[in-house]
Amino acid sequence: MSGWEPGSSSLKTPSRTVTLGRVQPQTPALRTIFCNDRDSNFAHRYKGNSISTTKYNIFTFLPKGLYEQFRRVANLYFLMVSILSATPYSPVNPVTNMVPFSLVLLFSLIKEAFEDWQRFQNDNSINNTPVDVLQAQGWETLQWKKLQVGDIIRVKQDGFFPADILLLASTNADGVCYIETANLDGETNLKIRKALEKTWDYLTPEKACEFKGEVQCEQPNNSLYTFTGNLVIDNQTLPLSPNQILLRGCSLKNTDFIVGAVIFTGHETKVMMNSMNVPSKRSTLERKLDKLILALFSTLFSMCLIGAMSSGIFIDRKYFYLGLGETVEDQFNPSRRFMVIILTMLTLLTLYSTLIPISLYVSIETIKFVQSSQFINKDLNMYHAETNTPASARTSNLNEELGQVEYIFSDKTGTLTRNLMEFFKCSIGGEIYGTGMTEIERGIAERKGIKVQEVQTSTGSVREKGFNFDDVRLMRGAWRNEPNHDACKEFFRCLAICHTVLPEGDMSPEKIKYQAASPDEAALVLAAKNFGFFFYRRTPTTIYVRESHVERMGKIQDVSYEILNVLEFNSTRKRQSVVCRHPDGRLVLYCKGADTVIYERLGSGNDDLNKVTRDHLEQFGSAGLRTLCLAYRDLASDLYESWNEKFIKAKSSLRDREKRLDEVAELIEKELILIGATAIEDKLQDGVPSCIQTLSRAGIKIWVLTGDKMETAINIAYACNLLNNEMKQFIISSETDAIREVEERGDQAEIALFIKEEVKNQLKQCLDEAPQYFCSPSGPKLGLVIDGKCLMYALDPSLRVMLLTLSLNCASVVCCRVSPLQKAQVTSLVKKGARKITLSIGDGANDVSMIQAAHIGIGISGLEGMQAVMASDFAIAQFRFLEDLLLVHGRWAYIRLCKVVMYFFYKNLAFTLTQFWFTFNTGFSGQRFYDDWFQSLYNVIFTALPVVFVGLFDKDISPSLSKKYPELYKEGVRNMFFKWSVVVVWAFFAVYHSLVFFYFISASSSTCRDRSGKMFGLWDVSTMAFTCVVVTINLRLLMMCNSITKWHCISVGGSILVWFVFIFLYSAIMTPLDRNDNMYWVIYILMGTSYFYVTLLLVPVAALLVDFLYLSVQRWFFPYDYQIVQEIHKDDIHSTGTSDLLELKQQLTPDEARSYEISKLPKEVSKHTGFAFDSPGYESFFASQFSKYVPPKAWDVARRASMRSKATPK
Amino acid sequence: MSSNTPSSSAGGVGSADSAAPRRNSKRPKYSKFTQQELPACKPILTPRWVISAFMLVSIVFIPIGVVSLFASRDVVEIVDRYETACVPENFRNDKVSFIQSPSTNKSCTRRLTVPKRMKQPIYVYYQLDNFYQNHRRYVKSRSDSQLKDNSSWDDISSCKPEDDANGLPIVPCGLIAWSLFNDTYNFSLNNQQLVVNKRGISWKSDRDSKFGSDVFPRNFQNGSLIGGKSLDPTVRLSEQEDLIVWMRTAALPTFRKLYGKIERDLQPNEVIHVTLENNYNTYSFNGKKRLVLSTTSWLGGKNDFLGIAYLTVGGLCFFLALSFTVVYLVKPRRLGDPSYLSWNRNPGGH
Repeated sequence: MSGWEPGSSSLKTPSRTVTLGRVQPQTPALRTIFCNDRDSNFAHRYKGNSISTTKYNIFTFLPKGLYEQFRRVANLYFLMVSILSATPYSPVNPVTNMVPFSLVLLFSLIKEAFEDWQRFQNDNSINNTPVDVLQAQGWETLQWKKLQVGDIIRVKQDGFFPADILLLASTNADGVCYIETANLDGETNLKIRKALEKTWDYLTPEKACEFKGEVQCEQPNNSLYTFTGNLVIDNQTLPLSPNQILLRGCSLKNTDFIVGAVIFTGHETKVMMNSMNVPSKRSTLERKLDKLILALFSTLFSMCLIGAMSSGIFIDRKYFYLGLGETVEDQFNPSRRFMVIILTMLTLLTLYSTLIPISLYVSIETIKFVQSSQFINKDLNMYHAETNTPASARTSNLNEELGQVEYIFSDKTGTLTRNLMEFFKCSIGGEIYGTGMTEIERGIAERKGIKVQEVQTSTGSVREKGFNFDDVRLMRGAWRNEPNHDACKEFFRCLAICHTVLPEGDMSPEKIKYQAASPDEAALVLAAKNFGFFFYRRTPTTIYVRESHVERMGKIQDVSYEILNVLEFNSTRKRQSVVCRHPDGRLVLYCKGADTVIYERLGSGNDDLNKVTRDHLEQFGSAGLRTLCLAYRDLASDLYESWNEKFIKAKSSLRDREKRLDEVAELIEKELILIGATAIEDKLQDGVPSCIQTLSRAGIKIWVLTGDKMETAINIAYACNLLNNEMKQFIISSETDAIREVEERGDQAEIALFIKEEVKNQLKQCLDEAPQYFCSPSGPKLGLVIDGKCLMYALDPSLRVMLLTLSLNCASVVCCRVSPLQKAQVTSLVKKGARKITLSIGDGANDVSMIQAAHIGIGISGLEGMQAVMASDFAIAQFRFLEDLLLVHGRWAYIRLCKVVMYFFYKNLAFTLTQFWFTFNTGFSGQRFYDDWFQSLYNVIFTALPVVFVGLFDKDISPSLSKKYPELYKEGVRNMFFKWSVVVVWAFFAVYHSLVFFYFISASSSTCRDRSGKMFGLWDVSTMAFTCVVVTINLRLLMMCNSITKWHCISVGGSILVWFVFIFLYSAIMTPLDRNDNMYWVIYILMGTSYFYVTLLLVPVAALLVDFLYLSVQRWFFPYDYQIVQEIHKDDIHSTGTSDLLELKQQLTPDEARSYEISKLPKEVSKHTGFAFDSPGYESFFASQFSKYVPPKAWDVARRASMRSKATPK
Repeated sequence: MSSNTPSSSAGGVGSADSAAPRRNSKRPKYSKFTQQELPACKPILTPRWVISAFMLVSIVFIPIGVVSLFASRDVVEIVDRYETACVPENFRNDKVSFIQSPSTNKSCTRRLTVPKRMKQPIYVYYQLDNFYQNHRRYVKSRSDSQLKDNSSWDDISSCKPEDDANGLPIVPCGLIAWSLFNDTYNFSLNNQQLVVNKRGISWKSDRDSKFGSDVFPRNFQNGSLIGGKSLDPTVRLSEQEDLIVWMRTAALPTFRKLYGKIERDLQPNEVIHVTLENNYNTYSFNGKKRLVLSTTSWLGGKNDFLGIAYLTVGGLCFFLALSFTVVYLVKPRRLGDPSYLSWNRNPGGH
């Protein structure tokens, strides 16, 4: 984390324009493209348009693929063992270790190849997509991959752009075309691109042939929304902007076709240069698994060491039958005992190599892959019908991590709230309109004892998505009769004109759709429509509004406003202005923005109105509404003209264009006249409060990290059940008088020092106070609210520990006004400082850093862009699906994986220990007990499949029960099933079983076991033992299952059967090539004795008896919670998924739960005015304000720029 | 999986499937597998189950144990340890030189009293101790191909160090064959020779498939006394049953090997005189030698282990079943008692 140390990072130059790593072009700084002239371009050797996203090709696959495999330590180990087993020191045939190892390698390589093949196919189909290219006066269909820089191409409606192209001409009037950028940022709204006027005509092939332009532009870079360049045509230099660039990945909409010139191709296109590598995460369980493997390694080495030392002691010439003459090889030379030890060490290492479970990783990967691709992705409970999005696991690494989450960091907007803005109230000319009551207000009123009667919706009320306003005084043109009707008119006009919304679809009020960057804007334009100011069409220079001043009288008037300038919204400005010319020639600047910003720029006079409106703003804010102020200014034409010159100059500047535009805008946005304020309601997502309650019962602590103001954040926290009045709340805020006073003095160093001191004091005070609450079990829970500025200082290394101690003791924490970087810092604080498993959930680009910082990142695939989803590990459509994801899938994945790991551990230990005991009886010579093939197939055939089925199907309780008893989740949080004590128990079983396997069989076979008095040899005994091992180990699996499907039975039975089939064949065939004849006929000899059957019954029962006893005692006296729940619901009929859902629905509807919780809202009336505007760029605003280095992230630029690129008419 | 590579999906815009699917429902298809609703039985270890399982095991195991134990007890076994007794008093302090000296008299006579009636066939075994036939160096020192087939008589690569003598390959080569046991036993009862049948003492599969009928011993040791027996070069390997038995290496350092069969009944208190040639050197490594005469039962030779193990397991299960029943009656735990849930036990804790 580069910005982790606030002190050091503040030394870095605050960069407001966020640049990306590769944005800055290297020499040469410019690229010159000769349009329609392949020969001239040839000299530059631009890359072709074919792309390849594959990791390997046919030649590199084997070396590279193998290299990837051997980067795993386990594989290296097995390679080493395989090599060792080919040396004379090996007691085993090389096949013993090579067969399973190559099977495992082969499996992994096939998987890699398959994935890469899919990528290749995908690339191929893209590369071979046809596109029309201008060649010899006509359009010719070529494949995408044949496209070259400088080609003139034609793209038809709904077609995708094959490369980054410069828009030359469009069939639409004014050279405009519409594009959809869903593939780039997930936004489905249309955006306008507009060709330079000079090139509008090059539409037909005949005309286009004549086009001989020269494009000078920046080198390829990955900044999606910036472009600087010039088009030189007919000795004229025309500036180019992103407005003329059509990016690969976008598609053409609402336009018959366009003609363009290719400028960047293939891997040099912006979208390809933007390909983001999601950092791969490993689950905590897997990291603990490494420790277990390490423990196994040390066990292995100590076993080898014991064996090797003893062999050094054992070896002696007295055993004449071993032929230990003077010339004996080193390993058995009694005169060189040290060498004996060293070499026997190698021998034993190969012999005991089965201790490390070779197929463990492959099995785990298979299990996890199926879990994520089949179970999580296809869970109907997590399918959101409204948005048609199923859940999606973007990585299969973290399934079991979902079962151990202790902290959830949630974004507010779009995650907890619906990001659905509804126009709810407004204040015009000092009068509040809108009779609705937010649920927050209703709650306040109820607590005050006022009976709230359900307001009858008046006849005039219009309710649609985005508009929930009811006031007869304004609707249906009634505002004409209001005393302040002029203000109303300006208000509505401002709403209808001052925005960057695109109308889409039919131009009737019923059918029109508004495409807007933020739902706030759409809601405002929608409101204007409902007030009778219907914005229905926009051209780059004009906005058409159908003004029906008095609807009943049918006075409908289409008015066109000429848009002269748009001063865009961004997070620094916190406002947006439009300069327009009314049909009557009147020049007006309309402005909307944050109250603080607007009030600074108001002209003198009208103090009463301003004061009343400010009161209203506070009222709205306390009701949880989002507010904006509207203002206007009449402009004199000469004043405007002189300003416009400066504006154009700033606009065409190549350097610092953005900054200079802001400066110019500052010149005209002053002396404004306030019209009023709007209030928009931010809807909560479905089921959020009940989901949060369930999760907190599951022991998960939920922190809200939001960029919103403290008051809004607190209100939402109340609404979501996170805070309530029974809680002791600690509020650490920078909005205190003392701090404000210091801030007014303006000395940065002093401010920093003062705030730090203040924060320290507050933290100390809270910490002093806190113990008395959380020490008593029945005491109130604690809640902490902290704002971004304080957080910045609290995250300082000296205070971090205090912050952590305090916040870990709080049931819920709300951080407001935090930047994306701080979100990530808070997440890392808990992740690294408290070593707890964290989960971040968010939907927006500003959550990306937090999503990447946490153990698990979850993206909401919802209304905002795809950036969060792209960075996430799992994507779900709704916050409430967390319940299924964590309590059902995560819990199961955790329990299953623990079982799988433990079982692997057990089965290999038990198997290898029989070898070890045998070693004691062979003079520590390292003689193998089992046949080579038994040993090599043990892991990959005879015990491989059943455990996979347990990893997939084991089910302790039904999903509905996991949600009904969320407390069960705590077992995962406490890591109950993968503790060292569990490992010890399994190790005990393994040791015990191996003792039973070896000693029972060797003791019972010491006298003849055949009616004809013949004795068993080594291989008869070992085959007997191996049969017992296979049967016992497979049966043990059934004992650890909570549910047994037919697949369990088939696989367990099948594994045992496969062993018998194998040994029947194997001992009947004699091949001279691969083995000694040791095993010939062995099983038939064995099965001809009654001893075989008597022992086969005895050994498994004697071994499993102890396990059974342990399981019974554990269940009877120390039951796990899930076992109790199993017992409670023992007789329940197995319910299906659909009825599970119904059952849950009946408990408490989210709305009921929510209104219940809302009734506990705080009594204080807050003084906040509720400014909120969904501004995707605000993270950089915070960053610059806090002098923070912002990590260059593609999304940041992308989001900021997407605002800008949207329909900027000139 | 491909979702891990956003670049390909972002770049994959041109592929045919991206254009249309917005209208299509992405609703996952229902299947019992993906919704994890496969029918399953969910066994719960209720006290009743536990007790009945233990009871069942004890009911099955105790009779088997009794039967096995009886089978083992039915077997009459005479064991005679002779490695010290067969060394003359004056050599007791230096047994190794006794056994290695070619001039000493190795003959020795033992008297064995039959304790109980022994039904024929009576098996004669020799039992060695501290003899690591399963030592790695020993086990692999043989050539299976050479034993099987005359044509590969010179395949001695795995036989070191006993692979050739005087430059000629040894058949059968290797340590195992070289160290063939060479004590011999002659039995007489009432001065009448007891015939020991040495045919059919090896596994038939070994005789038929592992030891070739066209293979004859060649260049084999001449039976110097320290180690093994000499082999009659005129007898084919498949008929050298002592060798075949010896070559089926034992699993443990203490082992018995079949020597022969006495095919007549022996009555109680009959005294068998054994004249043995004590040739084999176990004195170097302090190995014991035993002569064993034993009958068999359906379960094999005399070995109480299986019977005792069955009885122990069965008895243990019976005891466990009883104690669980007692616990169940004295201190029952109601099934599914919510008060046992951890969050109900200590509400404050977490």
